[in-house]
Amino acid sequence: MDQFVKWSNFSKIVPYAELFKEGILVTVMLSLFTVMIGFCLALVLALMRMSNVRPFRALGIDKNGHQRESGALAVISRFNPLEFLATAYVEILRSTPVIVQVFIIYFGVFGVIDLPSFKLLGFIKFDRFFPGVVALGMNSGAYLCEIIRAGIQSIDGGQTEASRSLGLTQVQTLRYVVLPQALKNILPAIANEFVVIIKESAITYTIGVQDIMSAVNAVKGATFVIVEPLLVATAVYFCLCFPTSKLIAYFERRMSHGDKR
Amino acid sequence: MATRDSLIQVTDLKKHYKGGAIKALDGVTVDINKGDVMAVIGPSGSGKSTFLRSLNLMEEPTGGAIIFNGVDLTKKKYQDESGKMVKLDIDSLRQKMGMVFQHFNLFPHMTILENMVLAPMKVKGMNREDAEKKALDLLERVGLKDRADAYPIQLSGGQKQRVAIVRALAMEPEVMLFDEPTSALDPEMVGEVLDVMKELAKEGMTMVVVTHEMGFAREVGNRVLFMADGKLMEQGTPEEIFEHPQNSRLKEFLAKVL
Repeated sequence: MDQFVKWSNFSKIVPYAELFKEGILVTVMLSLFTVMIGFCLALVLALMRMSNVRPFRALGIDKNGHQRESGALAVISRFNPLEFLATAYVEILRSTPVIVQVFIIYFGVFGVIDLPSFKLLGFIKFDRFFPGVVALGMNSGAYLCEIIRAGIQSIDGGQTEASRSLGLTQVQTLRYVVLPQALKNILPAIANEFVVIIKESAITYTIGVQDIMSAVNAVKGATFVIVEPLLVATAVYFCLCFPTSKLIAYFERRMSHGDKR
Repeated sequence: MATRDSLIQVTDLKKHYKGGAIKALDGVTVDINKGDVMAVIGPSGSGKSTFLRSLNLMEEPTGGAIIFNGVDLTKKKYQDESGKMVKLDIDSLRQKMGMVFQHFNLFPHMTILENMVLAPMKVKGMNREDAEKKALDLLERVGLKDRADAYPIQLSGGQKQRVAIVRALAMEPEVMLFDEPTSALDPEMVGEVLDVMKELAKEGMTMVVVTHEMGFAREVGNRVLFMADGKLMEQGTPEEIFEHPQNSRLKEFLAKVL
């Protein structure tokens, strides 16, 4: 029986070290951009889900100008299209595989829209990288939306009441009172999402993004060794993710000090 | 029936849940006059807090009227002097009604001074210098000027509540609503908060105080409301309520708490 790992095979990888180095850079940049896009999208989605836009609000008010308590009109008057759209988006993105989403964005959306084919930093193919970032960002936006929503909802309702009682509007209350506290609370969860994205970004190699997995594939194609480059990739991903999550845990512990209300 | 210096007229105020199955407020009618110090007492679940919170629409009533500054707060739209229908601007009305909560609700991510200047700057558009000067004056009144740069977590419960009171005062409200302001405090800190409130009453501030402090209701209040089952059971001067109670529920309640 052949050996599972042959030490001699590792030396065959050495000439491809540059590919791995570029791959690491691509993976890190992919993850950073994804989290940034995802966060902005998530903030919008979370606010949509918690918004109070009710186009049929007038139907819920009776002829004396009072709020209806029940009945079909009261139900319709509470319908919020923004909330509906955001909820639908989140549920669809969370209930379908990432690889399907990546393919739809790459072959579907960017099959129609032509992207300029230049190289970022001299080696990142923009027309592959960009669809990858968009797809992953859209996916992580759905997850981050729920994190942000939970963060906002974890803030005691008394905070909002106190702010509103002082005459601040809903938007001002969100901006000055609720969001600063919520974001501080969910910073660890956002950083965790970053770790998840580092791992998930491996999927973009299927659309030709030259990340770590793509380096593995290149070595496989050229030398017919597969297990050893995979082990190298494993080590690289671990070295990216493990310290990051340890760092997060450290900041989490530090931030929880003196935070008890 | 509004008197000359009536400030808030509450008429048949109702707050029903589940299509009337639960009646948190069931037809409360009361006039709050300028300078009134009105203590609202009653057993828990009697609707006192709901009543207070309805006054600035923290709870949306399901029936009745609350006339404040000539505007019915329970209606989304009203007619202005020229007869035009305008939308109710609840934010600008709320700043005229200060509110103090049982759990203080200071903003934990801001210093005491920042807590104090937020609304004056963002709502009234004051510049930072004026807002801070005013805030420090107010803090001095409650003996907390030296804690201006502290965070709420560094303060005791009594200190937090004193800050919460002056934070509301910084908006120069016409009426102050207190929702069980001493209920979450350690017993030895109740006095310092009540002292601030007494001071405020002496200066002529209109106050509505939901409280379990019968001593305060008796001593400082000029009117006492007794509520039970979402209804206003009896109202009168402290003497009438505490010395000559008429309603049987009130007699029962007083026998338990006094």
